[in-house]
Amino acid sequence: MPSIVPALEWLEGLAWTTAIRESAWGYPILETAHVAGIVAFAGLVIMMDLRLVGLAFTYAPMTHIQRRLFPWQMVGLAASTATGLLLCCIDPLRYYRNVFFWVKLVLFTLAGLNALAFHLKTYRMAERWDEDPHVAATARRAGAVSLVLWSATIISGRLIAYNWFG
Amino acid sequence: MMKMKITLVLLAAGALCAVQQAQAHHAFAAEYDVAKPVTLSGTLTRMEWVNPHGWIYMDTKEPDGTVKHWTVETSGPSQMSRRGLKKTDFVDGMSLQVKGYQGIKDQSLANGRTLVLTDGRSFYIGSVGGPNDGADK
Repeated sequence: MPSIVPALEWLEGLAWTTAIRESAWGYPILETAHVAGIVAFAGLVIMMDLRLVGLAFTYAPMTHIQRRLFPWQMVGLAASTATGLLLCCIDPLRYYRNVFFWVKLVLFTLAGLNALAFHLKTYRMAERWDEDPHVAATARRAGAVSLVLWSATIISGRLIAYNWFG
Repeated sequence: MMKMKITLVLLAAGALCAVQQAQAHHAFAAEYDVAKPVTLSGTLTRMEWVNPHGWIYMDTKEPDGTVKHWTVETSGPSQMSRRGLKKTDFVDGMSLQVKGYQGIKDQSLANGRTLVLTDGRSFYIGSVGGPNDGADK
């Protein structure tokens, strides 16, 4: 299999990636926007998860809460993903060689699959238990798994900054 | 009752701040030895003016005449710019002096604190979390 490293070296050498990597303002702004996007996304996902596990907002139907949160969750996801991809582009070899980056990608994928399975299957059957403070067991489990996986994703993302194993 | 709650919250906040303080130093303490200050005088082979931290690659002459290749971590472009340094201040092959702390595992790694150029100008190039040694004054 051909190595991906030459492609990453090419990406790193481009004028625009180099300009952001060496910038006094561009990089801090990009990083801040990435964190702001994560805060918006994860914060709203956690609100939804807390309803699912029965720790908050149990007085309101689950779908009412989700309908209001969903658009803004997606805004946060779009912002954090776009800025995250840009951050990868400006320093690709650094992330390629960082173990926490790969751990984060795996956790991100698992958290995404959990959310997808919930929205495509469990959420569609929500009428049955929508108004119950305690939702169906599958939905409760999805909420708990979501809390754990998104938290772990964010923690491993933060750890990318520390090259303990590099 | 209310007073006790407030006291407890304040205590918890204080404990959190203390933990925060300890962790802020952890990244430095994990990689660099505050008991091993170094002063490196040599020639610049390469400077990476990059985020989130920059890197100075320089050669020094050891007492036995051999050349040692050093990698020195600096703060990021915005911090260095604020101190008046520019990317163009670094020219491959120029002489420079760096004061800092040696790495724990990697003996040719150092955390830069003060940079002195041949024209006499001196700059703080350390980052947050380093020892309180006055280099930033």
